[in-house]
Amino acid sequence: MSATSTQSSRFTLFPRLSGAAVAGILIAILLMAFLVLPVAQVIYVAFLDARTGALTLQNFEDFFNTTLFQQSFVNSFYVSAMSVVVATIIALPLAYITTRFNFAGTAIIQSLGFIPLIMPPFVGAVAMSLLFGRNGTVNLLLNDYFGFRIPFMEGLNGVILVQSIHYFPFILINLSAALRNIDRSMEESAQNLGASGLRLFRRIVFPLAMPGYLAGAALVFIKVFDDLGTPLLLNVNTMLAPQAYLRITGVGINDPMGYVISFILVAFSVFSLWASFLFMRGKDYATTQKGGGGLSKRELSTKEKILAYGVILLILALVLSPHFGLVLLAFGTIWSFSPLPDGFTLQHFHTVFTESAQYIYNTLLYAGTAAILDVVVGTAIAYIVIRTGLPGRKWLDYMATAALAVPGVVLGIGYLRMFHGIQLPFGLGPMASWWGIIIIALMIRRLPYALRSCMAALQQLSLALEEAAENLGASKSRTIRRVVVPLMAGGILAGFVTSFATAAVELSATIMLVSRASEAPLAYGIYLYMQSPAGRGAGAALGILAVVIVALGTYLSHRIIERDRLRTGRGEAEQ
Amino acid sequence: MKKLLLGTALGLLAVSTASADTITVVTSFPQDLTGPFKAAFEEAHPDHELEVVNRNTNASVAFLQETRDSNTTDIFWASAPDAFEVLKSENLLAKVDIQAEGIPDEIGSYPINDPDGFYYGFAASGYGIMYNTRYVEANELPVAQEWEDLMSAEYNGHVAMSAPSRSGTTHLTVETLLQGDGWEEGWAKWKWIAGNMNTVTERSFGVPDAVNSGSAGYGIVIDFFGLASKATGFPVELVYPSVTAIVPANIGVIENAPNEEGAKTFVEFVLSPEGQEVLLNPSIMRLPVNPEAYANAPEGFPNPFDEDFAPGAIAFDVDKSGARYNLVNSLFDVMITYRLDDLRAAVSAVQEAEAAHADSGNEEAQALIAEARTLIEALPITEEESLDPSFTGVFQVARKTEDTEVVGRQAEVEQEWDSFTVDNYRKARELAEQAAAL
Amino acid sequence: MVGASNKEKSMIRETAGIRIENLHLSFGTTKVLAGIDMEIKPGEFFAFLGPSGSGKSTLLRAIAGFGPRPKGRILIGDRDVVDLPPWKRNVGMVFQSYALWPHMSVRANVAFGLEERRMPRREIGPKVEAALELVGLLDLAERMPSQLSGGQQQRVALARTIAIEPQVLLLDEPLSNLDASLRVQMRRELLALQRKLQLTTIFVTHDQEEANTTSDRMAVLDGGVIQQIGTPQHLYDHPANGFVAGFLGTANIIEGRVQDGAFVTKSGHRLPVPAPPQGADRIVLRPQNIALTEERGEGILPGRIRHREFLGSQIRYLIETADGTIIVDTQHGPDTHDHAAGSEVALRIDCRNAPLLT
Repeated sequence: MSATSTQSSRFTLFPRLSGAAVAGILIAILLMAFLVLPVAQVIYVAFLDARTGALTLQNFEDFFNTTLFQQSFVNSFYVSAMSVVVATIIALPLAYITTRFNFAGTAIIQSLGFIPLIMPPFVGAVAMSLLFGRNGTVNLLLNDYFGFRIPFMEGLNGVILVQSIHYFPFILINLSAALRNIDRSMEESAQNLGASGLRLFRRIVFPLAMPGYLAGAALVFIKVFDDLGTPLLLNVNTMLAPQAYLRITGVGINDPMGYVISFILVAFSVFSLWASFLFMRGKDYATTQKGGGGLSKRELSTKEKILAYGVILLILALVLSPHFGLVLLAFGTIWSFSPLPDGFTLQHFHTVFTESAQYIYNTLLYAGTAAILDVVVGTAIAYIVIRTGLPGRKWLDYMATAALAVPGVVLGIGYLRMFHGIQLPFGLGPMASWWGIIIIALMIRRLPYALRSCMAALQQLSLALEEAAENLGASKSRTIRRVVVPLMAGGILAGFVTSFATAAVELSATIMLVSRASEAPLAYGIYLYMQSPAGRGAGAALGILAVVIVALGTYLSHRIIERDRLRTGRGEAEQ
Repeated sequence: MKKLLLGTALGLLAVSTASADTITVVTSFPQDLTGPFKAAFEEAHPDHELEVVNRNTNASVAFLQETRDSNTTDIFWASAPDAFEVLKSENLLAKVDIQAEGIPDEIGSYPINDPDGFYYGFAASGYGIMYNTRYVEANELPVAQEWEDLMSAEYNGHVAMSAPSRSGTTHLTVETLLQGDGWEEGWAKWKWIAGNMNTVTERSFGVPDAVNSGSAGYGIVIDFFGLASKATGFPVELVYPSVTAIVPANIGVIENAPNEEGAKTFVEFVLSPEGQEVLLNPSIMRLPVNPEAYANAPEGFPNPFDEDFAPGAIAFDVDKSGARYNLVNSLFDVMITYRLDDLRAAVSAVQEAEAAHADSGNEEAQALIAEARTLIEALPITEEESLDPSFTGVFQVARKTEDTEVVGRQAEVEQEWDSFTVDNYRKARELAEQAAAL
Repeated sequence: MVGASNKEKSMIRETAGIRIENLHLSFGTTKVLAGIDMEIKPGEFFAFLGPSGSGKSTLLRAIAGFGPRPKGRILIGDRDVVDLPPWKRNVGMVFQSYALWPHMSVRANVAFGLEERRMPRREIGPKVEAALELVGLLDLAERMPSQLSGGQQQRVALARTIAIEPQVLLLDEPLSNLDASLRVQMRRELLALQRKLQLTTIFVTHDQEEANTTSDRMAVLDGGVIQQIGTPQHLYDHPANGFVAGFLGTANIIEGRVQDGAFVTKSGHRLPVPAPPQGADRIVLRPQNIALTEERGEGILPGRIRHREFLGSQIRYLIETADGTIIVDTQHGPDTHDHAAGSEVALRIDCRNAPLLT
């Protein structure tokens, strides 16, 4: 980001434009070219008469007149809302215990709590149904010993369970950050006035952490609302996203309803975001204040410690169960209608290592580059939105964030439609089948995550620190490079990790854009394996590799963030 | 950053060297199938390299449609004949002269090659019922031999299949039954089978996956899924019902292919006796279209050219199937896939009522049950309508002739069917519950 | 002293004294409080004065129950509270940052403590209003904290604390976030309020003027140890050591020894002091007790002005002498002679009341 600004200061064609303005224009062009226009190319079909090609709103009328779609909308809404509830129940204790108490293993718990986000496609659902399905480990044992089953994975329940386990880290991350920013005196004054325990949490701590919580909850809501992978894998099709997918990708079908649903998905998601922004406006209490005491971490008594560890272990066991199932699958031989695999083997890993090295290299290259671009663009947007008065700056934020709501398939088809005709120089062929387009797709799809982290980091940065640097003679761009970016490092890194980790297992847009197996990423490799009976173990093994690589990266970043926090003295300074 | 640039540079080099004599294949086949073919082909033709791009059938067709203006693909290689039909109708396939010997014109009653010469069948697949032996044993279920078996109440909740709209091969099975038993009888059969389902999957591989892991007992699958699963070691078996669709898996050269000569070489290799034997590889398990290839087949390997194989196979009318392709898919989705819960509730209610009155001789109850059965089996359109261009036109991509009047928009028609179906299922359940209470 | 009305008096159930006995406290291996002993009388306005890092806030927080558990005893009234959690101590604390909850209105903030005490709703309303009336903010009850000025926030914090009728009121640098003129006004209001309620109050500050003007007695802390306890005037006039002398007002501390009923500086200058204690080796000279003179002779110390500061009512000189730099304040008025930096001057030292330190 600093790079664009320094370049722009040497930019002489439009000398009246500031560096920030040039960066803003470049980002706007980028978002238009790689997000807005490709999506519009796909979605405008929603406004066309299938027969005559004339503009019409008839399709929307049909949508609202169709019982199936009404029901799908209700189901999608219900599943999203319930997923937020369940995800909250999972995330809240983890966030609270690790941020507000002196607790050994906080970094590990926070890292483990992040891992569910890195659930490779297909394998997760297979592992979950092997554990919790109708004839999965748990139900087979329950049925053998107690003669009943619990329908964890049936219908909408299954979607809610899988989605909340998959997406709760968004709440965990945001809520933890918000809890860390509550000044100790806020809690102490309540204790001083007689509040303690759950009442203290309910009346003071949680309301103060509300903005962070809502940011996470909105993200979960929208992701679940727009996600089609999980419902499709669980064979739930009476929801909006799967309906859109089924209708867009059917062979030779020209059903405009798929595009209508896509439009409604995007519109509803943007509306939800906007509503959550509106709700949060004026509520972003930065409570770490002058004369405050920083963060308080309380000690726990032995009894409380045992309870806390019990709760945490229980939650971790639940949220990591898909990964546990994945491990069994990867090391197991045959696993069919039995609590555990019949035997164990290393064969699948052997297969993966001999056949699939290029997937790992490609994934690191694609997801890494995309995540770097994400934090660069994210920091730039954050700076432009928060620190400059450029007209229309908020639209950069809205546009980038809207990418959250764009189904990957829609983006993939949009890219094919828009860029296939463009020939790249140097014999790279059509732009849409160039591997770089995969990086761009990943970057656009993961930009909202990085953007939110960068925004949060910059918001907490006092303007006085920048003014001090400028006062001492640093130019705007040098201030950004020497003061703003280093102080935002923690947030930028968090954004990088989220973008990287989720990009590393992304499939929906990628699968449309991969044009050579040698240029395919990991998730695509997993997809290939998981299409055949013999590939189940190997797919799981590749999934494990993906998780391990990303988890290691996450853990390292956590360590760096922690170290950074200590170094800049944001630890617990007592009087 | 430097590493990134280096990576970019290396990537450029890799791309430019790879384009020497590369044949690019877009396929829906798993690596288990493409891998052995790639290895065998590159060994036989060291001057060629096979570049395999895997996408599911739907994504492949979308990809080929979207990229037609600057095509980079040489070959499309997939099971579903209907996908080839779509590509052919959109002029995306090239008519190439392929030299192949010893391959008959028909397998079962299905023509192996496109009569117009746009694509070639290279392997055959039959449809069967795949079941998990541990599951069947634990639930003490009999083995289903025929499609009709799956209609009986004891299989309630144990069956899985994929939606015909998602899997071209499943579509053929649905259509086979509709042609074999007649429109009304066929749909009735599917509804009673579907009433016993615990899931209708959105991926064709979802069915063998469910049976392999034991979440479903029986799956209606294309045979190689069952055979390959068994070969991998899963406790599963496959039976061929006497009425089965034998369908070829196909290969075709894309119009305007960058490497048409190479494409031709590969297609000829796949159809050669050498290529045909690759199909017997245990992780592939598809039926060669060249009868000679069966000489080296392992014991018990099904031979569709054998007289004993699927004696009840019907004469499959390809034109009929093609004309109402999307309509049948949509009708299946509306009546079964999207309303599976309603259908299951109605079917279960009827099954319970029948069990309650098996020997009671209560005529009022029998009448109610009969009425409920009629309601479940009721169809919103007749066979004539299903073949009427003004009806099928509703579901087609682009009308060939502008003068065909269609009856409405797809969403409108589907909504009509949907309320018709949901209403009937609800009434049927109520009647059956009344009967059971008598 | 302002008499408390019945209504106001009823706000305080019972005020209590505080006794601290041999209190030790460490953060990990760092000792922060070492052997604190003190007694604060019921109704007393008591200040903890010290530089930052002296342990004064830690001591206050220990009384409120925050921070690590200390060793020793803290008695409020007759009750040892060391093992009680903060919410059971019934001490009211006003935080330096005020710690008003931004998500609650002024009224909700003030009502909070009463609600936590499970007081019936109909009783809470009047109590909240009484507390707000006491600090003069009744008309702002529905505002959110972010809509208030610093002084108003301070008052809300105070009202919130008083509303729970604590036995003891703890104020942690309550004026440090206010601007200078408001600070003077607030400290008077605080004192008036304390007198009205007759509530035992501890006031933590690093500002000697604040401590001097408000407190009945104060404790000067440094390095986690109490240096001296007493009335502000006593501490100023009779500092127990150099730290107290230097911390309370400006002091020239000159080294020397007692000889023949006088204090003789290192350079041999003789300062007559009445009844000097044996063994004293330093004398504390306040700048205002030294005058610049033209005279020469007995008791007159020569020097040269190094630096001059204009303070408004006074002019301060830093003067180089044989006994080191000495600070001298002279009244600024029409009659006083102004000296330029660099000029040679003579100092006449009035050491009749000058404290001697051993």
